[in-house]
Amino acid sequence: MRRLGINFAWTALILTIVFLLLPILVVIPVSFTESSVFRFPPEGFSLQWYQRIRNVDGLLSALGLSAQIAALATLISLLLGTLCAIALVRGAVPGAAAITTFMVSPLMLPGLVFGIAMLQALREVGLRDAWTSLLIAHVVVTMPFVMRTVLSSLTLFDFAMVDAARTLGCSYPAALWRVLVPNILPGFISGALFAFIASFDNYPVSIFLVDVRTKTLPIQLLNYLEISPDPTLAAVSTCLIVLTILVLVLCDRLVGLRRMASI
Amino acid sequence: MSTRRDPLGLLALPGVAFLGLAFLAPLMLLLWSSIRGPDGFTLNGYWRVLGDEYYRGVILASLQLGLITTFGAFVLGYPAAFALARAKGYWQVVLFALIFLPLTVSIIVKSFGWGIILRRDGILNWLMLNLGLIERPVRMIFTEGALYAGMINVFLPFMVLPIYSVVRMMDARLPDAAATLGASPWYSFTRVTLPLSLPGIIAGSSLVFSLAVAAYVTPSLLMGDRYMTMSMVMAKAFLNLRDWQLGAAMAAVMLAVAAFIVVGASLLQRRVGGR
Amino acid sequence: MMHPPAGGHLAIEGISKRFGAAVVLEALSISVAKGEFVSLLGPSGCGKTTLLRCVAGLLLPDAGTIRVGGAEITRLPAHMRNVGVVFQNYALFPHLTVAANIAFGLRAQGTSKAAAAPRVAEALALVRMSEHANKPVTALSGGQQQRVAVARALVVRPSLLLLDEPFSALDRKLRETMQVELKHLLREVGITAIFVTHDQEEALVVSDRIAVMNAGRIEQLADPATLYQRPATLYALDFVGQSTRLSGRVLGMEDGVVVVQTALGVVRAPGSFAAGSPVVIAARPEAVSLAPADAPGVNRIAARVSEISFLGSRTQLHLALADEGDRGIAELPRLPDGVGPGSSVTLGFAVADTMLYPAA
Repeated sequence: MRRLGINFAWTALILTIVFLLLPILVVIPVSFTESSVFRFPPEGFSLQWYQRIRNVDGLLSALGLSAQIAALATLISLLLGTLCAIALVRGAVPGAAAITTFMVSPLMLPGLVFGIAMLQALREVGLRDAWTSLLIAHVVVTMPFVMRTVLSSLTLFDFAMVDAARTLGCSYPAALWRVLVPNILPGFISGALFAFIASFDNYPVSIFLVDVRTKTLPIQLLNYLEISPDPTLAAVSTCLIVLTILVLVLCDRLVGLRRMASI
Repeated sequence: MSTRRDPLGLLALPGVAFLGLAFLAPLMLLLWSSIRGPDGFTLNGYWRVLGDEYYRGVILASLQLGLITTFGAFVLGYPAAFALARAKGYWQVVLFALIFLPLTVSIIVKSFGWGIILRRDGILNWLMLNLGLIERPVRMIFTEGALYAGMINVFLPFMVLPIYSVVRMMDARLPDAAATLGASPWYSFTRVTLPLSLPGIIAGSSLVFSLAVAAYVTPSLLMGDRYMTMSMVMAKAFLNLRDWQLGAAMAAVMLAVAAFIVVGASLLQRRVGGR
Repeated sequence: MMHPPAGGHLAIEGISKRFGAAVVLEALSISVAKGEFVSLLGPSGCGKTTLLRCVAGLLLPDAGTIRVGGAEITRLPAHMRNVGVVFQNYALFPHLTVAANIAFGLRAQGTSKAAAAPRVAEALALVRMSEHANKPVTALSGGQQQRVAVARALVVRPSLLLLDEPFSALDRKLRETMQVELKHLLREVGITAIFVTHDQEEALVVSDRIAVMNAGRIEQLADPATLYQRPATLYALDFVGQSTRLSGRVLGMEDGVVVVQTALGVVRAPGSFAAGSPVVIAARPEAVSLAPADAPGVNRIAARVSEISFLGSRTQLHLALADEGDRGIAELPRLPDGVGPGSSVTLGFAVADTMLYPAA
């Protein structure tokens, strides 16, 4: 009977993976179709939709904007979040648990609500620049991801190692750099990865803060889907998927997916 | 560094201050505006949201969507998390990456992919036609079933990962011990494994529920106006109707639901935990 | 009392198990009498834990049979075997109290809460944990956890109890106390017990017989005294207790005694070896004395003292010997005057106490 349970669990896992990958995998062959309709199986083979990416109005600029905002927001979150995490773990801060919950809370609250709140607040303050608004909002969006992983890395880190490094001849900053940083790097990188994705893919917050000229990629894609859906969308999606896989491979080389998996 | 205690605490300040200004303050402002009408204080917005049968229905529909998504994700995700936690060596890393990868793919791409699968001329119909299961293409897109499938697809990893991380830490000897004491595999599962994985279940379920209840992109793409959720009503109110009061009130309701989930989950965790 | 049902006799025949290319157990056979305590003694990797898991039903052997009280249980799943196990780190259920842990097996097998309660109370009293009944197990010390683990396994009246390194997680003083206590307890209950351990002192204390295991096979199965005084192989000699050992070459036989040339002189030992064979001679430290009489039945060797270890009730002299594999240890109740590191001494041990093995 135990055999049965184990088999059941493995079946569920395989089903889950297939189920999860299905919509992603479907998009890829469609991007190579000759016809301008989303038929499956796709007819013919053509790279025309990939070529069209360059021509589609605003697609590349939206891609650039999303990447820019995501990168900057992630960096700022990493900076603020890591400092905060260090303080919470080592600094005997009163109400540390409450502060932690607060810093992580944007994740649990509906993004849409936050987007609207930002819109309203920024209007009150008089800030109308879409780029700046997006950046501020995205730092909030990315902060929980950074906090969770960096915090858990720091909590697992045995600070006795820093003491050991100091007794072996390292100054305090040198000890932190040589011992602390390499050990929390997985948390750092996986936090950065999560954060970047969360920002890049964000719709509910961004929708309220973009204007006619400044659009992030998800919004542009959705627009495109509503107005003139054609397999270009599939081509863009495929490019994004490939990009993501490359980033994951890069992370594996840098840090090791195994270590990231344990976060 | 001589005194490492107090000065270090100040490092938290920039982060907390930023979040306080950029996150908390706008939310407070939103709640404030939900009770402010053109003539001063008013609960008009709330009356409309909670009093109107239509909007009540929308709230219930969102809750229903959340529940079904959570349940579906649990049924598939719980055993999957188990298998993942017990996978050995390199396989575990690969399988983990495969579960993680869909999280990195845009929700729009995924919903778009579902559209392709479910269309009249999509894969599922093509498969079923060729296998002789149906005679004519079945309309699956824009059905509630498709919505649930799409929602579960998007949020499944959020159920698997927390359960996986809890199960991983469980002593692998415990089911052995139960067996040597004469417990049948079912008894061992229900009395040992399940209770010990409860923290993970609570974490995963609360996460999926809170995300599903507030979902916007997936219901819009897969159902459009046919299944209105709280978030869709709210977005419409702000973007299309410019009815700020309605929007803000709906937003407040969503916040209340989210807060309820967070508090409820942490209470449950405390009751279950203590280890 | 919680007396086990009839049939504590365990018969293992020809058990083999391999993991991939590695042979972990090789046609192992052993028989344990009812109420007997047997230890499986060996280093990690010798297969003792694998054998334990086969008997417990947590692992299926490739070949061989396991019988308890005459009934074959080889392929029976663990929960139908009625074989109790005390795990190395106790494997207590963290989400249950002490009492609930102990009651687990009873409840799992269908006993009602009411019927289980008196038996749980009895078990708690047996291990002297009655006042901890409602505590969470995570609040207990190592020794207390071990007692709960034992009570939990015994309360369901298994026909056999397996213990996997039950004392390894305890510190030394506690270990010694618990070893005696547990042995006494299990005797009272009258259960057949198999211990798995790598600690030879532990094996000597708790066992009626010890099975010294090496690479999936039993090298010697004997009671502690026999094992100590007459180890069958060099491996068994090295595993149990300390010894003085010298390598040498056989010169020939003389009056039924083997004459061996070692680096420190000629030594005689009972046995039979062909001339020229490389051998190892050995003697237990307490058989070695410092001022030996120059008599025919006594071997004499001369060496220099390299180290002295004061162990309280006895003092050990470690000798400086040239050969890597050689060891010289003498144990005396007290260090004689004038002897210290660097002193030259003459040691003697009776020919009858000298052991002889083929060189590995």
